[in-house]
Amino acid sequence: MYDAPKHEPTLEQKEIKFAARNVQVYYGDTHAIKDVDVDIEDNTVTAFIGPSGCGKSTFLRCLNRMNDTIDVCRVEGDILLDGEDIYHKDVDPVQLRAKVGMVFQKPNPFPKSIYENVAYGPRIHGMARDKSDLDEIVERSLKRAALWDEAKDRLDAPGTGLSGGQQQRLCIARAVATQPEVLLMDEPCSALDPIATAQVEELIDELREQYSVVIVTHSMQQAARVSQKTAFFHLGYLVEFGETGTIFTNPEDERTESYITGRIG
Amino acid sequence: MQDEHIVSSYDRDLETIQAQIMKMGGLVEEAIMNAAVSLEKRDEELAEQVRQGDRAIDGLEETINEEAARVIALRAPTAIDLRVILTVMKISVNLERIGDYAKNMAKRTTVLAQMSPINGSPSALRRMAKEVERMLKDVLDAYIQRDAALARDVMQRDHDVDQMYNALFREFLTFMMEDPRNITACMHLHFIAKNIERMGDHVTSIAEQVIYLATGEMPEETRPKGDKTAVDPELSPGDSA
Repeated sequence: MYDAPKHEPTLEQKEIKFAARNVQVYYGDTHAIKDVDVDIEDNTVTAFIGPSGCGKSTFLRCLNRMNDTIDVCRVEGDILLDGEDIYHKDVDPVQLRAKVGMVFQKPNPFPKSIYENVAYGPRIHGMARDKSDLDEIVERSLKRAALWDEAKDRLDAPGTGLSGGQQQRLCIARAVATQPEVLLMDEPCSALDPIATAQVEELIDELREQYSVVIVTHSMQQAARVSQKTAFFHLGYLVEFGETGTIFTNPEDERTESYITGRIG
Repeated sequence: MQDEHIVSSYDRDLETIQAQIMKMGGLVEEAIMNAAVSLEKRDEELAEQVRQGDRAIDGLEETINEEAARVIALRAPTAIDLRVILTVMKISVNLERIGDYAKNMAKRTTVLAQMSPINGSPSALRRMAKEVERMLKDVLDAYIQRDAALARDVMQRDHDVDQMYNALFREFLTFMMEDPRNITACMHLHFIAKNIERMGDHVTSIAEQVIYLATGEMPEETRPKGDKTAVDPELSPGDSA
């Protein structure tokens, strides 16, 4: 039994999409993110887990400068996307957010038709030359979000008339319509039932082929199911970052162990 | 030990299943000793008790498997909790096998009681069984204490058991060559020796599980292989001896 080579999961080396170095985030006097260094790979689902207030959502929102909208928020350190500093003064946050899409906790479709929800982004970014171009983008995006079959006969119906799970997939279709490179998801399934959750998780796994996906989740089981890499945040620190299988079977840090096993840490 | 879970019924589930492993271990220790004593004292009643007692051991193995399946389904254990569940499932299989070997010893004891005794060997077998029983007791302690060092010590001691087996193997061969009338008894005694040697291997495998439980990694080092009778012609004297 010792002759067989020990099974090692072979993870091919992926390109680094985001490289964060020594990131600090302050909300006024509160030091919310402390000394975070992390490499987020392409074609990989990275899960951020940790108790409420640990900074995981704050850090996620740094990745597409969503924190710019909060006056008292200050970000220090380097966050590089494909080697380029996203906080450089020449970077247009609107362009950045087209590259780094985001899906939120609560489905938030625009109060417009399903078609317009998806078409809005590509239109303002001038990604379509004419109506047929736009039709194609809408169809492709809805297909990618696994919503096409359910929505194709009612594209003019309001997006808000869809079920919760369909609305969330519509938001994902809207996010992928601008052909982003990274998709940030902040608890995308917390308002969904288990079936809709499974559909979104299946979708996340498919999206991984084309994007780097970063997901914040309170469900440890969801992190275990969908991600290849897991980062555990605690009190603003990135405590442990590693292969998801390792984090959930043999974490290195006691705080990670306490958190994932549901102990008082 | 670990901190408590926020959901206290989770702790109770894990404690229950580990208490069952300890209970099973206690029954198996008792079966080993009783089987060895009944052989030495030619006590058929005690041998019968060992044979009957194996049902309780088998029953506990089933209960442990059911409990483990329930915890996996309901609690989705991770990290140390997952390793507790994985190891109890494997250890219960090892304990059940050791129980079977003790039962087989007891069966052969009933047959041997009808034959003229072979000098010295039953007490040698009892010493060997005693060592295995001590190893089992220590490895169960190591399990409860999450003590990888003690588990490694137990693994090393399996070597001694293998040495005792090698010696007995030679002794039985000699007895059989001396007088063919010894063959039937010696064949039974040899199977008993082999049973005890296999018990030691199962204890070693439990020790590996303890190391996995405590460290999260299976031991790298190859376990000592002490049974040379299959590979060493020196141990099998033939006509030329």
